[in-house]
Amino acid sequence: MLRLDSVTKAFGATTAVDKVSFDIPRGQFLGIIGRSGAGKSTLLRMINRLTTPTSGRIYSDDRDVTALNGAPLRDWRQANAMIFQQFNLVGRLDVLTNVLLGRLNHTSSVRSIARLWSKEDRVIAFSALEQLDIASLAAQRAETLSGGQQQRVAIARALVQQPSLILADEPIASLDPRNTRIVMDALQRINKQLGITIICNLHSLDTARAYSDRLIGMAQGRVVFDGAPSTLDDATVRSLYGLEANEVVDTAGTAMPQRRHGMLPTPVAA
Amino acid sequence: MSTVPDRTMSAALPHHVGATSSMPALFVIFAALVAFVAGFAYLDISWPRVLGGLSELGRIASLMLPPTYGTTARLMGWLHALLETLAIAFLGTLLAAVIAAPLGFLAARNVVPVWIFRFSLRRLLDTFRGVDTLIWALVWINVVGLGPFAGVLAIMTSDIGAFGKLFSEAIEAADGRPGEGVTATGGTELHRVRFGLLPQVLPILVSQILYYFESNTRSATIIGIVGAGGIGLHLAEQIRTLEWQHVSFIVLMILVTVAIIDFFSARVRFAVIGANPTAEANA
Repeated sequence: MLRLDSVTKAFGATTAVDKVSFDIPRGQFLGIIGRSGAGKSTLLRMINRLTTPTSGRIYSDDRDVTALNGAPLRDWRQANAMIFQQFNLVGRLDVLTNVLLGRLNHTSSVRSIARLWSKEDRVIAFSALEQLDIASLAAQRAETLSGGQQQRVAIARALVQQPSLILADEPIASLDPRNTRIVMDALQRINKQLGITIICNLHSLDTARAYSDRLIGMAQGRVVFDGAPSTLDDATVRSLYGLEANEVVDTAGTAMPQRRHGMLPTPVAA
Repeated sequence: MSTVPDRTMSAALPHHVGATSSMPALFVIFAALVAFVAGFAYLDISWPRVLGGLSELGRIASLMLPPTYGTTARLMGWLHALLETLAIAFLGTLLAAVIAAPLGFLAARNVVPVWIFRFSLRRLLDTFRGVDTLIWALVWINVVGLGPFAGVLAIMTSDIGAFGKLFSEAIEAADGRPGEGVTATGGTELHRVRFGLLPQVLPILVSQILYYFESNTRSATIIGIVGAGGIGLHLAEQIRTLEWQHVSFIVLMILVTVAIIDFFSARVRFAVIGANPTAEANA
């Protein structure tokens, strides 16, 4: 279980995240909604510790992870795979190497710097690509792929980290409706079949409603809604999104997902 | 389309847009003119001498034709010296690149965030770069004696500064997102530089090194004149003895060499940067 206790992040005079507290039970698919600038990204980055909170504490199963450093911090990051809006792949490297970067914390420095990946790691990386139906792209340079394909590479990279939690920061904001579904379905499969907790920042309310077990609404850095998607009423939506309210609920192509429960072919996550 | 200015539109424009006074520009042009005339006066350049010099230049140019090399033995000597010049340029550039590469990373903000360290390193690189190759040649000749080794060291020293600055700027201009992705997986700082930065900047660095190799072939000629080895020594000697046909021949040899290097370095650059994905899959 992940527990946030009064987590705050200030950039100078502006408070991006303001005393946010909530618990996330293992295996939950949590959607965080709110307009841009509501503090969703900063919140996710603090959990992975790409950003350090100004105040407040983050606990993982009663272990304080707010002040980790060095090797324990890298272990923590490895257990919290991050997926970015802009994919954050290394464009000039091939797809398989990009996925193998998820194994960095499992590999000795000398071997990884020289790109001497073990056979086992290569198999893990390749099977992750297979699960996302992009194994045929393994040898291609990442920057030659479409946005949807790149995001699937990023998900594969996240999977080979063997995380207990995946933090997805607006994973579909740069994608078309078809790829939106492919990426969200993949995250859902990972959540349901591997039991990996997912925290997903989403701008589109329909998508958030369709995929999340629970929604947290943020406005001006504060949590203003926390509950099941069905309990989110129009008044709350308007307070969350203001004038953008009509725009976020009117997104075509993000209709109800297929609830697929087929088995994954390989045991990527331990 | 009306040619009459739209009054509402112009009213909406901020006052300073398009209405910038041309006074400062006029002043700068005037000041440049004054400095130009003053420069001539200060250097005591007389127009008759300039005109006389022009005709002399024409005479020398005509003496250069046709370019010849005299005896075959002399030509062989020149070819040998030219090869030496190439070797000086190549070794100097390569050594400078090898030394400057780590320094470039250390002087980049996105690698070393410590301000004071970066600042000191950059000023040091500026010092190396601020002194011309020719001056370094004179210094090194006194240290290691006349010959090509002094030339290699001279090019190396001045280019460590230039490369260090160019490399660090290329590294700072790199996209930070791949590196962030690497950090987020649990990678170390070294991993971030290795995978997040290096693949992005390597083609740029290679291309800069190749440009410098080409330009250093010319520099290596100049430093030969002061005794740091290579074809420059022969060129200076032929000018001193007024063998203008030989001078023009040596100049042609240098031009052809630089053109050949240019041709090949362009091909290497394209191979590194270009669309061929296998070319740098090993980066």
